[in-house]
Amino acid sequence: MKFLLRLFCALACSLTLSHAFAAEDETPRQTLARAILAENAATKRTILGSLVGRADEEVGELLVAWRQDALFIYTTPDNTRIPVRLIGPADAAGTHAAVRVIDGEPLTDAAGAPLRLDKGDLESVDHNANLRRAMKAVLDLIDLGAALPAKRIQAIKTIGQSQDAEKLPAIQARLEIETDKNAIVALREARALIMLKSAKDEDRLEALRELKEVHTLSSTDFIKGALSDAQRRNHTQLTNAARAALNAVDLHRAKVDFFGTLFRSLSLGSILLIVALGLAITFGLMGVINMAHGEMIAIGAYTTYVVQNIFGSGLALSPFGISLSLPGINSSGWVYQSYFIVALPLSFLCAAFVGILLERSVIQFLYRRPLESLLATWGVSLILQQILRLTFGANNVQVSSPIYLSGNWTVNDILFGWNRVFVICFAGLIVFGVYLVLTRTSLGLLIRAVMQNRGMAACMGVRTTRVNMLTFGLGSGLAGLAGAFLSQIGNVGPSLGQSYIVDSFMVVVVGGVGNLVGTVISGLGIGSLDQFIQQYSPALASAFATVPFVGGFLQNLAQDSAVFGKILVLCGIILFLQWRPAGLFVTRTRSLD
Amino acid sequence: MPHPILNVEDVSKTYDGFKAISKLNFYLFEGELRTVIGPNGAGKSTFFDLISGRARPDTGTIVFGQDTDLTALNEYEINRLGIGRKFQTPSVYAEHTVWDNLVLSLKGPRGVFASLFHRLSSTDRDRLDELLKLIRLSEKRSWKAGQLAHGEKQWLEIGMLLATEPRLLLVDEPAAGMTDEETHRTGELLLSLAGKHSLIVVEHDMTFVRQIARDGEVTVLHQGTVLCEGKFDDVQSNPKVREVYLGRGKHGTR
Amino acid sequence: MNDSSSSSRARLEIIAIAVIATLLIVVIPVLNAQGVISNFHLNLWGKYLCYALLAISVDLLWGHTGLLSLGQALFFALGGYMHGMYLMRMIGDLGQHKQPIPDFLVFLGWTKLPAFWEPFDSFGFALAMVFVLPGIVALIFGFLAFRSRIKGVYFSILTQALTYAGALIFFRNNTLMGGNNGFTDFKFILGFDFRDPATPRWLFIATAVTLLLVFLGCRWLHTTKFGLVQRAVRDGENRVLFSGYASAHYKLFVFVLAAIIAAVGGALYVPQVGIINPSEMTPDKSLEAVVWVAVGGRATLIGPIIGAISVNALKSWATRAIPDLWLVLLGGLFILVVLFLPGGLVSLPKRLAPLWQKFRRPSAPAAESAGKAAKQ
Repeated sequence: MKFLLRLFCALACSLTLSHAFAAEDETPRQTLARAILAENAATKRTILGSLVGRADEEVGELLVAWRQDALFIYTTPDNTRIPVRLIGPADAAGTHAAVRVIDGEPLTDAAGAPLRLDKGDLESVDHNANLRRAMKAVLDLIDLGAALPAKRIQAIKTIGQSQDAEKLPAIQARLEIETDKNAIVALREARALIMLKSAKDEDRLEALRELKEVHTLSSTDFIKGALSDAQRRNHTQLTNAARAALNAVDLHRAKVDFFGTLFRSLSLGSILLIVALGLAITFGLMGVINMAHGEMIAIGAYTTYVVQNIFGSGLALSPFGISLSLPGINSSGWVYQSYFIVALPLSFLCAAFVGILLERSVIQFLYRRPLESLLATWGVSLILQQILRLTFGANNVQVSSPIYLSGNWTVNDILFGWNRVFVICFAGLIVFGVYLVLTRTSLGLLIRAVMQNRGMAACMGVRTTRVNMLTFGLGSGLAGLAGAFLSQIGNVGPSLGQSYIVDSFMVVVVGGVGNLVGTVISGLGIGSLDQFIQQYSPALASAFATVPFVGGFLQNLAQDSAVFGKILVLCGIILFLQWRPAGLFVTRTRSLD
Repeated sequence: MPHPILNVEDVSKTYDGFKAISKLNFYLFEGELRTVIGPNGAGKSTFFDLISGRARPDTGTIVFGQDTDLTALNEYEINRLGIGRKFQTPSVYAEHTVWDNLVLSLKGPRGVFASLFHRLSSTDRDRLDELLKLIRLSEKRSWKAGQLAHGEKQWLEIGMLLATEPRLLLVDEPAAGMTDEETHRTGELLLSLAGKHSLIVVEHDMTFVRQIARDGEVTVLHQGTVLCEGKFDDVQSNPKVREVYLGRGKHGTR
Repeated sequence: MNDSSSSSRARLEIIAIAVIATLLIVVIPVLNAQGVISNFHLNLWGKYLCYALLAISVDLLWGHTGLLSLGQALFFALGGYMHGMYLMRMIGDLGQHKQPIPDFLVFLGWTKLPAFWEPFDSFGFALAMVFVLPGIVALIFGFLAFRSRIKGVYFSILTQALTYAGALIFFRNNTLMGGNNGFTDFKFILGFDFRDPATPRWLFIATAVTLLLVFLGCRWLHTTKFGLVQRAVRDGENRVLFSGYASAHYKLFVFVLAAIIAAVGGALYVPQVGIINPSEMTPDKSLEAVVWVAVGGRATLIGPIIGAISVNALKSWATRAIPDLWLVLLGGLFILVVLFLPGGLVSLPKRLAPLWQKFRRPSAPAAESAGKAAKQ
C-alpha cells in the first residue's frame, strides 16, 4: 500500500514536471531538437520525458540514431547550432547528406544548396546512462505515437490491460493530443483501467464512471473483478458504480451481438439467395429440384481455384491417372490480385456450360417425370462429385482472398468482413440482374412463358428446347457464381455444394415456385433465422428444459448452436408450410392436379 | 313446397383480384334438376369448387340439408355428406381397371382400417354389375380406365358418381366429347335420376340443355352472379341473356 | 387376360415364393453349417436382405403411393440405433475401458449410465423402441406434412432435410449416442456370442423370415381395398378426395408403416454388420435405396428385393475392384435406368421377349402378338 502511494506521488510530480517543459504546440521532432540542444543532461532528460506517448516512429528512429551516435550538431557560419542526422553512404570526400532533426528537411546552406558534411567536422550528440534510460522509456511507448491509428490503439490496449501505473502519464499525455476517435476511447479505457488499480476509492469510482461511459467490451473482466472486490468489502458506492459500468458494457455487448448477427444473417442469406436463385429458376421451369446444383457450386469454386493458380505458379492435376499441368503466368501484385475479377465470369461460364451439357444429355428426356429427373440429377451429382474428387483430390484446397476482400472494417466493435460485405452487395446486383433478364429481355419473356405453360408455349412457336437449355445454363451459372463467392468464405472441397444445398432447397420450398420475390425473402429469412438461433440458442437452452418429455434433450441440443439452428429452421419451415403449403407466393392453377 | 337441400347465400370469391363469384344467391330443392348455363368465365366451375370444398368462399354461407355449413368442411368430408362431383375433364384412375374404379367409388366406409379389411359382398357385386350395364362398360370391366375412349371415360365417371349414391350431384359438362346418341342417353339418365337425387348440371350444349331442362329450371350465371332464372324458353327469350351470349350491348348489361 | 391364366400365374408365383423362401431360410443356413457357404458370404447376404427390407419400405411409398421419401435411411438407422443401444449394454464391462458403461461414455467423462440408456438393458424394450421411435417420428412428421398437403418434390426435399437434421443430431457427441463413431464392438446378443458362427446364422434366418413376412404382408396389402386407394392416391390424389377418402390418413398410415419396416431392417442390419454410425443416416443413403428400387423395378413387389440385392452385390465387387469409379458407376447406373429402363430389371424379360421371339422363331405373327403383350 505504502509503495503504491509513493508511486502515485511520484507520478503526480512527473506529470506536473513534464507539463512545465513541454510546449503545447511543439511537434515531437521540435521537442527532440530542443532536448539535443539543452544545456545539461537533467534538462535533456526532462524534455525527453515529455516525449513519452507523443513520439511517433520518426522520432523513434532519431532516438535510436542518437543512441548509436548518428546524430550531430552542425554549427552554421552565424553560430546557430542545428541538430542533424547524416544519411546515405559516404562519398569520395567522406561526406554524407544531412537532414535536420527539427523537421526532417535536408540541410541547406544560405543559398539553398544541400550541404554535405563530414562526421569529423561535427559535434556529436552525446548521451549517458540516464539519458539512455529516458530514451528507452520513450521508445518503449513509441507505438503510442504510431502514425497508424490501429497500431496506436493496439499499443494503448496493451498498456490498459497491463494496468501499469507507471504508464499513466504517457496515456495522459497522449490523450491530450490524440485526435482519432477510436484511439481516444482506447486511451480513456486504458486510463480508467490503470486508475481502477489505484488504492484510492475516489480514483476507482472515477475509473468506474469513466468505464461506464466508454463501455468497451475489453473492460468486462476488470469491471467484474472490481465488482467482486467491492462486494467483498461491502462498499456500496463502488458496488453500484461497478454494476452500472457492467450494465453499460453488457448493453453495448448486446447491441454489438445483435448487429453482428444481423450482418452475418445478411451475408448467409445472400449466399443462400444466390445458390437458391439458380435452383428456383430451374425448379420453376421444369418443376424439379436439380440435385446436381450443389456440384455446380463446387465447379464454380474450383474454377476460381484454377484461375488463381494460373495467375500464380500454375497447377498440376492428375485426373484419372492422366497427369495434366496448367502453366502459371507467375504474376504478382495487382495483376495477381485481380484474378478474382477474371474468375467471376469464368466460374459462371464453366458452371453454365456443364449445366447445359446436363440438360441436353439427361434432363431434356425427363420433363414430364419430375420425381425421376430428381433421381437422375442425383446420379449426375454423384458422378460430378467423384470427378472433382479424382481431379482435385479428396482434400480441401485453399483459395486465398485477394487483398481487397480480406480486410475488416470495425464500426463500434462490430466486425464487417470485406468478403461478406462484397457477397451482400453482389447478391443484390445479381438479383437485380436476374430481374432484368427475366423482365426486360426476350429470353426472360420466353422463360416466363415456358414456366407458365410448356405445351402452350411450344404451340405458339417458342423453341422450348432452346429456352430450356438457356434457362438451365443461367440457373447453373448462378450456382457457379455462388461457388466463386464461397471460395472466399470457406474451404473448397468436392462436397462443398452439399453443405449449402439442403438449405437452398428449403429456400426454394418456402419461397414458392419460380418466384423471384419469394426466393429473396425466404433466402434472407432463413439465413437470419439460422444465424439468430445460432447466436441466441445457448442463452435460451435452459428455457427448453421446461418442455415435457424431451426437455432435457432439447436443452442438451441447444448448447450446440449450429446444429440446433439448422434443426429449428427445419421445424420452422415445416410449421410455416402448415400455414402456406405452397410457399410464400403461389401460382394458382385450375386443373385438378 | 319441398325443403331446399342447398342454400347458397351472399357468396363471394376473389382470385388474385379477379371476382370469380360475387354476391351469389342460389337455392336448390330436394329432388330438383337444375341446369346452370353461362358464358366462359361466368364462374360456373368456381361455383362447383365452392360447393365441393375445393375452394373456400371469402364471404357468405353455403348450407347443405338442414344446417350443415359446407364452408367449414374439406373435400372428403363434403363427399361423405353425399355430394358427388363429376369433373369437366373426365378424371378417372387411369391405372386402375374399370371395375376397381367403381369399387373405389362404391358407397361404404372410407376409413383407413375399414379399407384394410373391406370385402365386397354379393349385393355390392350385383350393384356394380348393374352399374356396369348402365354405363355400358360390362365388356370392358378389366380394362385399364386410361385405355377407354373419351366418351367412355365420361360414362365411367358418371358410373363412379352413381356408385357413391349421393344426395346431390354436381355434374360439370357431362356431354363433352360424346356422340349425339350418347349425349341423348346421358340426358335421359340424368332426368331419370332427378327426384331421387338432386342435381346441378353445368352445360354449354344448348340442345342438351333443352333436353334436360324440360321440366326443371335454368340458372344463367354471368360475371359470378345470377343473371336470371326460369324455364328454358323464358330464359332463352330473355333479352339480357341474349345480350350476354351474343355479346351485343356490351356496355348496357349492367 | 382371362381368369384361368391369371390364377395359374398366381399359383406359379406362390410356388416361386415358396422355393425362394425355403432356399433362404433353410438351404443357405444349412449349407453354411456344412461349410459350403462361407461365413463371410452368409454375412454379406444377410446384409443384402436387410437392405431389401429398406428397399421395400421405399417402394411402398414411392412405387405404390407416389411419395418419394428421402427419409427412409433415417428410419433404418433409428431402428439400428435402438437395437444398437441394447447390444452396447450387452458388452457389459468387456469394453476397452473395462467399465460397466459403454466406452464412448467413459471417454466423455461419464461415470454412470444416463437415465435414458437404462431401459435398454432389456431386449424387449429395445425391440419395442425399434418400432415406437421411428413410428412416432414418422407419425409427427407425416401428420404435419400430409395435413398441409405437401407432395411431390416438396415432400422429397422435406424428408431429405429431416434426414439431414437427424444425422446432425447423431453426429454430436453430446447426444450420448456415440457421436461420429456410433456403436460397434458388440459382444453378445440374447446371451449368444457373436464369435460363435451359429449366431450370425440365426440372425440370417431371422432376417430371411422377416423379409418373407414383410413381403407377404405387402403382397396382401396390395390386394386389399387399401391397396386400391393407395394406388389411386399415387395416380390422382385430388380425385381421391372427391371420392370421400381422406388421402392424408392413408398416406400417414403408409408412411408410418414404411418407417417401421425400414427400422426393422435397420435393427437386423446392426448385429450382422457390427456397426451403426450416423453416416447410415444421410440423405444420400436414402437416395441409394431409391436407386435399388428403380433398378429392380418400381411398384412391383419383387423388384425392390432384386434391386437391393443386385446393386449391393455390384457394390461389393466394385468397391474392391474399382474403388475410385464406384460412385461414377452408381450414378451412371441410375441415370441409365431412369432414362432407358423405367420399369427396372423386372421389366427386362418383357422388353426382351419380342427380341427373343424374333430370334427363335422369325415368324411374323408370333413376334407381333408378343409385341402386343409387352405393350400391355
